[in-house]
Amino acid sequence: MKFNMTLALADKPGQLLRALEPIAKNGGNIVSIIHERDRPVEGYVPVSLVVDFPSHQSFRNTINDFRSLGIMIIRSEELVEKVRLTFILIGGVDLKKIVESKVEGAKIIGLEASTPRLEEVTVKLDVEIPAENVDELMEELKGLAREQNVILISPIYP
Amino acid sequence: MRILLVGFGFLGRELAKALRNKMSLLIRIDSDFRVVGAADSKGYIYSEDGLNIERLSGITKLSEHEDYKSGREAVELINRDLCDVIVEATPTNIKNGEPGLTHIRLALSRGIHVVTPNKGPLVLAFRELMSLAEKNNCDLLYEGAVAGAIPIFSLARECLQGDKIIRLSGILNGTTNYILSRMFFEEIGFEIALKEAQEKGIAERDPSYDVDGIDTACKIVILANALMGRDAKINDVERSGIRGITQEAMSLAKKSNYAIKLIGVVDKRLEVSPKLVPINHPLCVHGTLNAIHLETDLAGEITLVGYGAGKETVSAILNDLITVLRNRSGKSPKKS
Repeated sequence: MKFNMTLALADKPGQLLRALEPIAKNGGNIVSIIHERDRPVEGYVPVSLVVDFPSHQSFRNTINDFRSLGIMIIRSEELVEKVRLTFILIGGVDLKKIVESKVEGAKIIGLEASTPRLEEVTVKLDVEIPAENVDELMEELKGLAREQNVILISPIYP
Repeated sequence: MRILLVGFGFLGRELAKALRNKMSLLIRIDSDFRVVGAADSKGYIYSEDGLNIERLSGITKLSEHEDYKSGREAVELINRDLCDVIVEATPTNIKNGEPGLTHIRLALSRGIHVVTPNKGPLVLAFRELMSLAEKNNCDLLYEGAVAGAIPIFSLARECLQGDKIIRLSGILNGTTNYILSRMFFEEIGFEIALKEAQEKGIAERDPSYDVDGIDTACKIVILANALMGRDAKINDVERSGIRGITQEAMSLAKKSNYAIKLIGVVDKRLEVSPKLVPINHPLCVHGTLNAIHLETDLAGEITLVGYGAGKETVSAILNDLITVLRNRSGKSPKKS
């Protein structure tokens, strides 16, 4: 699992190596690193890293090691693989129910509607969602479509 | 080998023409190749020495033939072991598989090889028929039953012997693909596109079998059973058709570079439903074309495109027939 981290390192020799040691110790594999030496802010240089850790625990251990070494962490977050899916719904779609659906991480990023007659409204929905929650979203939308007697046209390979 | 044609509708007639045209090839593979009989629902013609194929290919109804025996049934010829192979091409019946199921069961149980483009018996009794064929050391080949001229089963049998098919998806019905293609390109509604398809003879007067996805569901069942080791039944398929697809839906899809296609899928589920297919995806074929997309563990992705119905299906039947001749005579065909 990949994590995005931004550290603030003191602008003096040996600091980068010092910061990388906890990552290596905890089994992290550095995917990318940007060391902005020419942009020091008040004596600190920002370093942005993407690190592939074997587990959440190894990531947390690394963060604890940084803290005990006095390395300042500006940002750290898990990089979640997200996919964008397009759906078309035909019929009396209750958009409120779709917006209120509780699939974790699902975000409606686009919506287009066509209404020749109110009872035949056709809606195109673009959704961004963590890849691991796609099946759950599919089941949720299928259930809503059945419940509302709406035709759901989903992507061929969600 | 002695061949009996059972069913003399469109495919039976087209097959008779193909046999006439390819007779020299067939004779080279099997010097004793002859069509000994042809049967329809009301009678048959039979000759132990072989029918005159030129004459057979020139008639539109068997009853036009001077030797036609009315009131007789194909099962008599099968029961008397008067043939070595039957080509079962009677109309598809997915309710009880008849009369094809009886013909195929009887032939296999008597050690007679079967070549069939008839979906009904395969949908209803695939495992039973395959076991019967194996038990009696017979070939049961059915390339023409799914996606007409597309050699999907032959490909899997000959060229993907070590692969595991993980997912299979496809456009397996030319009628619905024609309707959806007209809606996509001409921006017309479903009803108009359907009417046009009916006027052109692409859709039946009662289009339910095609537009409600029943035909595609049958094919999905056969594909799942034959290629992915399932024991699926038609009721296992989650199915929805294309009747409710509006012109507005098609326009919205098109604006986002998708086409709406009736897709059959076999993976962990069996499903037939309209799907959004990216226009640059290899499955996004138009008109009456069919396409099958395989995802396998070794070969990765393979897509086959071709005609799923019509006279092109004869290619599949003839290839199956040649496969039986080769399997049983041990000779390879040489092309002239």
